[in-house]
Amino acid sequence: MTALHRIGVWIGGAALLAATAIDTIAVIGRNIGLPIIGSIELVQTAVLVSGVFGLIFATWGEEHARVRILTDRLPRAGALADIIGPLSMALFFGCLLTGSLWLASDLWSGHERSEVLGIPWGALRLTANLGLAGCVLASLAVLFRRTQR
Amino acid sequence: MIYATPATGALGLLVLFALILSGVRIGAALGLVGLGGLAVVLGPEPALIKAGVVTIDTLTRYELGTLPLFLLMAHVFFAVDASRDMFDVAARFLGHRRGGLAYAAVAGCAGFGAINGSSLATAATIGSVALPEMRRRGYSDALATGTVAAGGTLGQMIPPSGALIVYGIIAETSIGQLFTAAIIPGISQALFYFVVIWLLVRWKPGVAPASERAGWRERWESLRRVWDMALLIAVVIGGIAVGWISPSEAAAIGAAGSLLIALVRRRLGWSMLFSAFEATLKTSGMIFLIIIGALVFSVFIGVTGLAEAASSGIAGLHLGPTGTLVVIALLLLVLGSVLDGLALMLLTTPILLPIVESTGMSALWFGIFITRAMEMGFVHPPLGMNLYVIQGVAKDVPIGRIFKGVLPFLASDFVHLFLLILVPGMALWLPSVLR
Repeated sequence: MTALHRIGVWIGGAALLAATAIDTIAVIGRNIGLPIIGSIELVQTAVLVSGVFGLIFATWGEEHARVRILTDRLPRAGALADIIGPLSMALFFGCLLTGSLWLASDLWSGHERSEVLGIPWGALRLTANLGLAGCVLASLAVLFRRTQR
Repeated sequence: MIYATPATGALGLLVLFALILSGVRIGAALGLVGLGGLAVVLGPEPALIKAGVVTIDTLTRYELGTLPLFLLMAHVFFAVDASRDMFDVAARFLGHRRGGLAYAAVAGCAGFGAINGSSLATAATIGSVALPEMRRRGYSDALATGTVAAGGTLGQMIPPSGALIVYGIIAETSIGQLFTAAIIPGISQALFYFVVIWLLVRWKPGVAPASERAGWRERWESLRRVWDMALLIAVVIGGIAVGWISPSEAAAIGAAGSLLIALVRRRLGWSMLFSAFEATLKTSGMIFLIIIGALVFSVFIGVTGLAEAASSGIAGLHLGPTGTLVVIALLLLVLGSVLDGLALMLLTTPILLPIVESTGMSALWFGIFITRAMEMGFVHPPLGMNLYVIQGVAKDVPIGRIFKGVLPFLASDFVHLFLLILVPGMALWLPSVLR
């Protein structure tokens, strides 16, 4: 396990803990007359951070769901699927990244912010785009790993 | 928009099947077909921008926080041996009866299903505890393995359920209402399994010998080990059902409560926390990809008008609401024997939901119905995943014997699914009362 992997798990885990704490405190606060303003926006940010790390780890660890009914029974199809699988993942993540970057560049000058706390959307989009780029790299690394076998 | 026709949608569906069967990851296959289809119908630029919008909207969606936090709760409970404690309670109260450990395994699955939304995880964890015990006490292999394989599917139905969260996001239906709607079908499904065990034991008493009765001291001792988890489950599910907390808040309270319980039991350490985080992140990443892919795919299906065409085609058959729903159930069961559960749900919801709504049923009811059909796919020979998970736990039991053991439960599943069609109130009554 690399140090990068450990750091990623702790950051993603910290985001999960943050979402847990914020929503729990929000419920308690609401019931004792001290509502937490903007808790939803904070949880959204935490969900984004944990989500991008989740996508990267699932891609790197080849955890994404697939149907094996044919590929497990036909060795040549299985070998082909070993290449097509990560290649299609890289292509899909690449398309998502392109679309998301396109959107970010269109909206960059608008300086969007969240309604209650004013969290800059540019930062959230940057996080998502870095995560998607990480997924493209992880897919290509899986492809490389497969072709070296 | 000259290609925006149902035929384009149907062609997309065929390509999707081909990609999925050739081993392309389900999320990527859904997304690539959706993107490719949108590029053909609307043009490459709108297709890419739509994909970008869907990605950002999904990853920043507040309701999506429900999923990883419930997963975190489940992974923390794995670490504190919750499955063993749940089974122990049921075994000490029911184990002395003939077939008692089989009842206990189903009850343990139901209890564990309430802290974990996965069919496979429930079958694997309860199986690892209950199977050795049942076999040690002379239960037949077929009954023991069939019970746990079928009981495991309760994890998907008893709230909080991962499948219902995903369905709620895709079909834009209240996750809280879906959880409430699943309570009666989940309980009645467990009761159906009890009836199956009762009938099997009456028919062939030798398949499940009676065991010694546990004393009340032992029973209270086992209860003492689960009261905190039971209280947390009651707050989480009850809180959602009565509208005191939203599903996302319930997930946060569940995760916080599980961490507190682990701390009190002196099981909360850095390595345990790391493992729980890692497993949670990987599983949620896997599900997020399928959701993003499915949302892009459903936009494509929506643009082609395939769902409306299929709906009018089925209406033209004049099967009536019950006939239509039976045909849909059969279609889901056939597809469920070759497709992964989540893929089945996400692939068919955009097409089948309008048809179901045209019969007068709501999206809420369909969520329970499709989850129930999905569960049956998990125990449907020859590909039901739970059957192979159980074989992984009991390696010396031939798969044919596990198939044989699960068949009576599968038969009860068919009856239960049909009952859900005939009596939609099973799913819809509780949400209407607690609204």
